[in-house]
Amino acid sequence: MKMKRGKPKVDIPSVAMGDIAFNLLIFFVILAQSQDDSHIQWTPAKADNLKGAGYTRVTVTIDKDQKVYLNGLELSEGQLASRIESHLGDAPAGQRKVMLKVHSDCTAAKFEPVIEAISQAGGELVHILEDKKQK
Amino acid sequence: MKFRRSTKLLVDVPAVASGDIAFNLIVFFLVCASTQPDTGRSQILPKSEQTQQQKEQQDEHLTVELKRNAVLVNGDPVKVSEIKARVKAKLSGKSRPDDRVVIVKSADDVPYHAWIEVTSQIEDAGGIITLQLEEERTVDVPQ
Repeated sequence: MKMKRGKPKVDIPSVAMGDIAFNLLIFFVILAQSQDDSHIQWTPAKADNLKGAGYTRVTVTIDKDQKVYLNGLELSEGQLASRIESHLGDAPAGQRKVMLKVHSDCTAAKFEPVIEAISQAGGELVHILEDKKQK
Repeated sequence: MKFRRSTKLLVDVPAVASGDIAFNLIVFFLVCASTQPDTGRSQILPKSEQTQQQKEQQDEHLTVELKRNAVLVNGDPVKVSEIKARVKAKLSGKSRPDDRVVIVKSADDVPYHAWIEVTSQIEDAGGIITLQLEEERTVDVPQ
């Protein structure tokens, strides 16, 4: 008598599927939200009566070496207004926030043209500062 | 022979999922720690075209000049702590936004922390800030 050799039945364990899906979700949410500007070195200036800056698609940073970055990418001042304008697109008033992070010791010769460029692009300027009360 | 009946049931906590739970807790606290909300101050600046129009009315507007070590309000030196009161007094009785424009001229070497302190005081006093930048001009020298 011949016995047929059956194939071993191997199921993919479905118990952990929920956990895997949840971790993937968190991973992609974090990737989508964070603009990587962690390499930029700057110290915020201090001020009183600050409010939450909220969320924006456009962040302009001037670092301690007075280099200008748009969303983490270095660029020249001349390109700034047009690039901000293209990022903001046709967004209505109230959704045209542009966060400006300027190193505390940066001089007016550098930051004033940047402010002007944001104004030219129709951006609503929000200076990112540190509360004086914070240590 | 008598057997003692144990009343306590030994129930083990399932240890299979503890790795997943720990990983999720790490991710959760990592996200909380890395996304601290930014705080700041919004500033309304008139658009450049408006500023050109306002330049014609420049004489009527309040002017604040920032030097490296001094602040001048309409040419008079003022302590930083007194700017708000001085600007408020000058703007009293002016309700139209056009009348509340304050022209800020900064020397090239003024640091950002000093600039933000002065402009914050002007805005707190009800002023609308307009920056006056020096335009770069190329002059051909005849040979």
